[in-house]
Amino acid sequence: MELVLVFRLGEALYALEVAHIQEVIESPRYHYIPLAPAAFPGAINFHGSILPVLDLGAFLGFSGDRQYGRIIVLAASLCPLALAVTAIQRIVPLDADALLPCQEDGRLAGCSRAVFSLDGEMINLLDAAQLLTSLEKTAMGTGGDHGA
Amino acid sequence: MRVEITYKFVAGFIIVVGSVVFLNLLVPSLGIPEEMQQFVAVACAILVGLVLGWFFSRAFTANIRHLREAAERLSHGDLSEPVRLPRSSFPDETADLAASLNLVVASLRELVGTIRASAVRAAESAHGLSATSEEMTASTQEMANTVEQISRGAETQAEMVEKSSRLIREMAVSIDLIAASAKKLSASASDTARTAQRGGTIARNSMAKMKQVLGDVERNGEQIVSFGTQVQKIGKIVEVITGIAQKTNLLALNATIEAARAGEYGRGFAVVAEEIRKLADSSSDSAGEISRLIESIREESQKVQSSMQESIREMDSERAALDTTSSAFEEIIQTAVATQTKATSIAELSQKQAEGAKGMVAAIDEISRVVTDNAAATQEVSAATEEQSASMEEMARSAQDLSALAEQLLEAVRRFRLAPEQG
Repeated sequence: MELVLVFRLGEALYALEVAHIQEVIESPRYHYIPLAPAAFPGAINFHGSILPVLDLGAFLGFSGDRQYGRIIVLAASLCPLALAVTAIQRIVPLDADALLPCQEDGRLAGCSRAVFSLDGEMINLLDAAQLLTSLEKTAMGTGGDHGA
Repeated sequence: MRVEITYKFVAGFIIVVGSVVFLNLLVPSLGIPEEMQQFVAVACAILVGLVLGWFFSRAFTANIRHLREAAERLSHGDLSEPVRLPRSSFPDETADLAASLNLVVASLRELVGTIRASAVRAAESAHGLSATSEEMTASTQEMANTVEQISRGAETQAEMVEKSSRLIREMAVSIDLIAASAKKLSASASDTARTAQRGGTIARNSMAKMKQVLGDVERNGEQIVSFGTQVQKIGKIVEVITGIAQKTNLLALNATIEAARAGEYGRGFAVVAEEIRKLADSSSDSAGEISRLIESIREESQKVQSSMQESIREMDSERAALDTTSSAFEEIIQTAVATQTKATSIAELSQKQAEGAKGMVAAIDEISRVVTDNAAATQEVSAATEEQSASMEEMARSAQDLSALAEQLLEAVRRFRLAPEQG
């Protein structure tokens, strides 16, 4: 059974497979990245390596306050990237049968692999591959680079 | 030459006898017969006797007639003429009688004149007396009227005095009441002053107590502030605990992630990590509970502080009110003392007034007595005046009687005719 980490972006709940996660850390001091897109508030020093931080809420088009309670560091095998989220809920086991297909809805559809219900709340299962692809597309579209 | 009748008779007899003798001598010488001589002598003697007697008687009778006429005139009251006898060379007792009669007439005339004058005077006096008595009666009547008026006036005076006495007695009673009221007022003012002093003392005590309470409240406020500080310190500690719990939670999360990555080998580790995470959650919940409690404590203590400040403000205003009350009590005390003084002086004045009223009552009683005496005396005077009036009437009657008597007397002596010049 696969484990997913449930976290909040503003008021919306998202989940990410634990396998894609390296570690969850508290929001440290950001280092400003010159000429970076607006969704990148800065970079952090994670165990000696510099990781760019993506404001996932801003990237996915959520409005509201930018409060980065926690930072999810993605697995190094996937991508050297950290995601700033509002808050971490908990780790739950994911039942594959409970997954519902995601509605085709703009940019959200590109990053949500599926939707499942937990304790009466709807949670979007974040598609990390899709996210990275989308991120790369954006970076190519704007011509900006994203840090290594 | 006065010759008594006896002597005249003797003389006449002697003359007759002498003439007889003489004739007896004479006749023979005349040549008359003898036989005739006796006769002639007797005739001559008788003639002489007759002549002599005639003369003598005539004179005597005339005198007697005069006397009788005079006596008749006298008896008719005519005293105008004296008794005048024919002049005689030889007056006798008839002349004496005439002189005596004349004396009687003169005396009578004098007497009657005197009586008439006296009667006239008496009548005049009686008239005067009557008039005087009438005048006196009128005066007495007037006096009686006056006395009656005086008596009525005295009665009115007595009534007025009685009324005055009653009024003054009522006034005296009123003054007594005023004096009593003033005494009561004085006592009330004294009570008020005492009460106000007690009130002032109580107000001062209240002030002191309020100051004490204010101090207590301020100390309580300070204690609450320090309590708040302590609570805030607890809050800091709770924050630390919360941070630790969050970190623990995060660590447990990462441990779970790590255990998941380890796969089957990390299962037990994952269970432990889950337990740790639950503990951290529970710590976090408790810390949140504590934070909420601290928050509510802080709110409560703020409320307490604000209500304390409100209390302090109210106490300040109450203190001001107490100050006002205290000064009001002072004013009340002063007013009450002034009232007491005035009431006391009113009471003293009323006392004096009451004494004066008593004196007035005594004086009015005296006046009443005098007036009563006056009325009695006036009644006596009235009675005396009536008696006097009666006496006066009697006197007037007597005077009238006297006048009538005088008239009668005059009437009685009127028939006496006196000399023409005398009426």
